[in-house]
Amino acid sequence: MGLSLGEYLRGLLTPFNAAAGLILLAGFPAIGYRFARGLGAVTNLSQTNPWGLWIGLDVLCGVALAAGGYTLASTVYLFGLKQYYPVLRPAILTGFLGYFFVVVGLLVDLGQPWRIAYPVLYSYGVTSVMFLVAWHVFLYLTVQLLEFCPAIFEWLGWRNARRWAARLTVGATVFGVILSTLHQSALGALFLMAPARLHPLWYSPFIPIYFFVSSVIAGLSMVIVESTLSHRIFRDQVDPRRHLDLDAITFGLGKAAAVTLFTYFFLKLLGVADGGHWDLLNTPLGRWFLVESIGFVLLPSFLFAHGVRERNGRLVRAAAAVSVLGIVLNRLNVSLIAFNWDVPDRYVPSGIEVLTSLTIITLGLLTFRWVVNRMPVLREHPEYREVP
Amino acid sequence: MIPHDLLTMASTKAAEYLIAVAFLLLFIPFWRFLNAERVPGRVPTAEAPGWIGRMVDWFLVPDGIYFHPGHAWAMVGEGGLVTVGMDDFAHKLVGRVSAIRLPQVGSRVGQGETGWNLVRDSKSVDMLSPVDGTVVAVNDAVSTSPELVNRDPYGEEWLLKVRADRLPANVKHLLSGAPARRWMEGVCEDLRALMSPDLGRVYQDGGLPVDGMARALDPARWDAVARMFFLT
Repeated sequence: MGLSLGEYLRGLLTPFNAAAGLILLAGFPAIGYRFARGLGAVTNLSQTNPWGLWIGLDVLCGVALAAGGYTLASTVYLFGLKQYYPVLRPAILTGFLGYFFVVVGLLVDLGQPWRIAYPVLYSYGVTSVMFLVAWHVFLYLTVQLLEFCPAIFEWLGWRNARRWAARLTVGATVFGVILSTLHQSALGALFLMAPARLHPLWYSPFIPIYFFVSSVIAGLSMVIVESTLSHRIFRDQVDPRRHLDLDAITFGLGKAAAVTLFTYFFLKLLGVADGGHWDLLNTPLGRWFLVESIGFVLLPSFLFAHGVRERNGRLVRAAAAVSVLGIVLNRLNVSLIAFNWDVPDRYVPSGIEVLTSLTIITLGLLTFRWVVNRMPVLREHPEYREVP
Repeated sequence: MIPHDLLTMASTKAAEYLIAVAFLLLFIPFWRFLNAERVPGRVPTAEAPGWIGRMVDWFLVPDGIYFHPGHAWAMVGEGGLVTVGMDDFAHKLVGRVSAIRLPQVGSRVGQGETGWNLVRDSKSVDMLSPVDGTVVAVNDAVSTSPELVNRDPYGEEWLLKVRADRLPANVKHLLSGAPARRWMEGVCEDLRALMSPDLGRVYQDGGLPVDGMARALDPARWDAVARMFFLT
């Protein structure tokens, strides 16, 4: 590219690269140590708390925040709202990489990665919800790869393969929506098996529905957050005409998020009423529940509505950020904070657990950047303009 | 654990029904609030200093004005009265025209439908209306002396005043501010792509666009060039 090696290396010295490099430098040996010495040596997990940060953050949050892929794919291909096409590919990429690194996180948590194929090939534990989750993630990861294949083939210049991949897109989307609906709720269904362990305000027979509805919110909000950041960070990649669409797209997604959050708030209220736990609202965890439900559900709903009404893109983007934080908070509440809430042996993640999670997230961000800088994700490939 | 006797269940169910009814009742004002998008009120007139410096390449794209992708603009006034015109790019693309055929007062125009018609060299080109509504006034000065047009596209050279009845829905399909400037950048890219080296020093080389760029691009088929940009 006309740069000397020294100039090239100096160009790589950005604050993000430096931070990412340091995290990976410390994180890879930590992951190696986990595989060499086992969970007991590196985590604060126990028989009482068998699931920790890796499941709570890397898996539950990762899957919810990757929901932008199926949300946008169904918006464009199933509901026919083609005006959202400009943000579809980055959403599918975010979804695919989100799921891929969920699997990486699971491998670190489960250990023995060479046995990953067991639930699919050898050992059918059909009575286990985990079996369901394994199959869902396996199938949905494959479907998302299929959905992203047109971009890969355009990059490689494989015209015939691209044509076939594009033909499969609608079928893959339909299959993907079914799988997502099932497994976003299946992750919630896992907690149906632990009614006594989860705080009554978070536990509800409706929890699979909560997980599914909140994944739609996470998907819509993540697309707003991700497209805003991408259009700033990868500005040179974006066709100027695509900038034009972004505000209109943001308002459309914001409107959908406002309605979904509003509905989700009342669904949560129904859960409290169904359990008859109004008295628990005036306890420390009850107040924490209100912080989540009002501060991170009802408030962003009104922020979205006000932002859309005033055509204030900045407010809609801020609402999306609050909403994403709210989903993360909800998943951490369900899996860590309100889980085993009444046992004396409270779980606090170890330094290595935090470092491992940071390493996996950093790997996800670096992979996203690598793909966006090479494949037609934010820009259209000149030879495939206007081809959906 | 709650005992599932009839009274407990009845009170629980009553609370659930109340929440469901409250949701339905509150959803109505919430939906109205969400959909009552505000449209900016009266915007600066052509003389306002804010208009200077809002240039995209050689075309003026002022803030506070809504642009239709067919190169018409709409400026919202008091009581939903909308002033409509053709943008700076459209003026420079077509150049001096021999006639502008405006709709009659009292007739209806529709967003994305033909609003008026430009005539030059016995050829005519339609332009699209940016809003839905009833025409309440037309600019006679422009229709009677079209040769004078090209000096003040967003001020004195307005074309119609429209009583818009679907303004919040219409503005969703219009552009203003930064998105409008980015759209105009895209239009300029398309214009550059059309230019051939034998056109002379007009644009790519840093020159000013000529008056009547469409004729400069293709003297015989200038109307086709104009239609391409006007989406008609």
